[in-house]
Amino acid sequence: MLIKIDGKTYKGHPGETLMEVARRNGINIPSLCYKKGFEGLGRCRLCLVEVSEGKRSKIVSACVYPIKEGIEVTTITDEIIKMRKDIILLLLLRAPDNEYIQQLVKEYEVKAPERYIQNDNDDCILCGLCVKACEKLGTKAISLVNRGITKKVSTPYDDPSKDCIGCGACAETCPTNAIKLEESNGIRTIWNRDFDLVKCSICGKYYTTLDALKFIEDKLASNEEHICDTCKKKSTASKFKESFQHIY
Amino acid sequence: MHDTTIRKKILVCCGTGCLANNSYSIYERFVEKLKDNPNITVETSIKATGCNGLCEKGPVVKIQPDDISYFKVSIEDVDEIIEKTIINGQIINRLLYLDTNQKKRIVNHMDASFYKHQHKIALRNIGEIDPLCIEDYIERDGYKALHKILFEMSPEEVIDEVEKSGLRGRGGAGFPTGVKWRTCASFNNFPKYVICNGDEGDPGAFMDRSIMEGDPNTIIEGMIICGYAIKSNKGFLYIRDEYELALKNMQAAIDNARSHGYLGKNILGSGFDFDLEIVRGGGAFVCGESSALMASIEGNVGEPRAKYIRSVEKGLWDQPTVLNNVETWANIPPIILNGANWFKEIGTDTNAGTKVFSLVGKVKNTGLVEIPMGTKLSELVFDIGGGIINNRPFKAVQTGGPSGGCIPKEHMDVPLDFDSLSKMGSMMGSGGVIVMDDTTCMVEIARYYMDFLSEESCGKCTTCREGIKLMLNILTNITEGKGELEDIDVLESLGNTIIKASLCALGKTAPNPVLTTIRYFRDEYIDHIVNKKCPAGVCKNLTTYFIDEETCIGCGICRKKCPVDAISGSLKEVHVIDEGICIKCGNCFTACPKDAVKIGGAAYAY
Repeated sequence: MLIKIDGKTYKGHPGETLMEVARRNGINIPSLCYKKGFEGLGRCRLCLVEVSEGKRSKIVSACVYPIKEGIEVTTITDEIIKMRKDIILLLLLRAPDNEYIQQLVKEYEVKAPERYIQNDNDDCILCGLCVKACEKLGTKAISLVNRGITKKVSTPYDDPSKDCIGCGACAETCPTNAIKLEESNGIRTIWNRDFDLVKCSICGKYYTTLDALKFIEDKLASNEEHICDTCKKKSTASKFKESFQHIY
Repeated sequence: MHDTTIRKKILVCCGTGCLANNSYSIYERFVEKLKDNPNITVETSIKATGCNGLCEKGPVVKIQPDDISYFKVSIEDVDEIIEKTIINGQIINRLLYLDTNQKKRIVNHMDASFYKHQHKIALRNIGEIDPLCIEDYIERDGYKALHKILFEMSPEEVIDEVEKSGLRGRGGAGFPTGVKWRTCASFNNFPKYVICNGDEGDPGAFMDRSIMEGDPNTIIEGMIICGYAIKSNKGFLYIRDEYELALKNMQAAIDNARSHGYLGKNILGSGFDFDLEIVRGGGAFVCGESSALMASIEGNVGEPRAKYIRSVEKGLWDQPTVLNNVETWANIPPIILNGANWFKEIGTDTNAGTKVFSLVGKVKNTGLVEIPMGTKLSELVFDIGGGIINNRPFKAVQTGGPSGGCIPKEHMDVPLDFDSLSKMGSMMGSGGVIVMDDTTCMVEIARYYMDFLSEESCGKCTTCREGIKLMLNILTNITEGKGELEDIDVLESLGNTIIKASLCALGKTAPNPVLTTIRYFRDEYIDHIVNKKCPAGVCKNLTTYFIDEETCIGCGICRKKCPVDAISGSLKEVHVIDEGICIKCGNCFTACPKDAVKIGGAAYAY
């Protein structure tokens, strides 16, 4: 399937979204709620682009738009820049102190009128990636709750969740660093709950929680060695090295 | 004349409006009083019906075949009605409808200005039948259309007929129903689903509720016909849980239809299977959006999705789905029975048939009105609605709920159809029409809708959630006297971004109330911002009342109406309002027979 993006022709596969084709080819379409491997969410609206099909053209959100043969895409027009500026302004009013949003503000030269700034800062921009990550893991401990301007990400009734394993995948995927994850004295605190941390049997550093390990062991029905990612890579690399030495 | 050979039917309105006024007790009283009553020689039957539309004048009692309609009936009137009207055939003048346009009392409600202009298709049975009695529905040609399609028409022919009729979805967007069915039928992917959208949520709209409560079988019949046409065997009715009576009557009708062989396996021996299930909605406004509604039925959070792939292809559980609104379904059986050409004759070329409007606000006759598409807005407000309460100056109407806009009096000749209303920057929506007089502040109206939507947006996408929030903040500032002129530009510019960039129809239409009020009432915005004055006297920070010395005749009415004794003055002398005590309720303003009470701007600078 051939499509045109900003005048150049690219190959895409049926079922792919515009964002997938763009990212694969190094075309920059800004987005806060898109992550490779996840299906598009269409929440942040920053990835708006213009798609022309014959004589008709429309504004679509690239992360959820399934490509069609022959479409022509323009990723930057005056109209799109204006909309992105407005969206960044809205995000700035929500999260005025956020580093990530500030980068966008600089890039798009957005300025918020003083009078519109309110003192209810929230780093979370409700992109929903954390909820998706938790869902993909199979834990489903957090979700988007409420609606309208009171919408937020939380555990059921804001209580400590028994489904949460403290793995931190939510904090890891958050584009604005909005999820609080604290560690001290072998305890990790996240979503109002404390988790015991586990040490790597090789390097001795804390690397995951007991609940997360148990969750994985239950899923895989095996007892894994307690080794952190870095040490796991090292040990795999050394095994490779060993076997390659014998070949040459 | 008193005829003893004719069977008398007493129809007591038990729609939600009349029920709230105790109409069920009236019904029970009739049943009790007519039972074993030796004085009654005529055969009588009493029915609790659905809503008659003129809720403001309820409870309504109709007596047939004499065609006598009584309004504002109370339980004390029952004995008199039996005695005078049922037994002796006399009319009780006091209970007749007082037509303010014709300035006389009317015996048969169909002659009243409110009803005379109406053309009932979707509401044809409501008020005439007992919704819980399937035989009543059958007696009025119910399930005849189903017989016709099952034994005389192919699915293709059914779709042809609906398409030819020109019926457009009554839920708001006006998408051609036949095209929707045909597209869904074209996908070879089974199972397919049929959905009835009963998640009516626009403030002031209650037509779907009335149909579900008053004529549930017509919805069921419409849905079975669609099931047959697109080869689906399963349908869902998504009804908001607040609609208790609608839920009860729909469920009873489904059970009844099933036991009569209209639902279930092998319907009427045709070999076609179809069944229905009710899903109760939690009352989120956004669940009236089709993809959010489907997510909700699936058990997920009620959030819309991008509809680049339509729900006719991938809808409920990713299967081909036809979703129509309650009123659309109610139009299907008459179209099949009377033919597409009959339907096309009603309304205009591109807007066939009728539309039900719920007429509310500052209008004399409030209630449900079904009129041919293309009827002028002025006819709806003045001929049917009877004009403005207390004959105050008319200002604007709001159509289409939170997605619609305000239409000023200069455009009162706009025909009520999908296309004309969209051109005005408003919308047909579900058919809510809110009438406003000179005491309505247009900035406050815009603020009210943003406040409503800030809670009812699903909150999924940035433009809708944060955009509405910012608009609400700006509008609140303006109504509190803290606005600046550039705010109007920001509202317009931001509104256009929200329309273009939002994910679903809720966001894409959310700025309409703001943009139309700016378009047609910019002066009022400027008054608020520059002159610090609310000309309607609604925004309290920007209102003071004073009495014009030249005009005041010293009648003392304002003094009596004032709840806080802020007005002083002797009889036949000029009265004065003490600003320090005044709570700005506006009672004096609306009460003054000489319009001597004037609205001034803010008491102090903001």
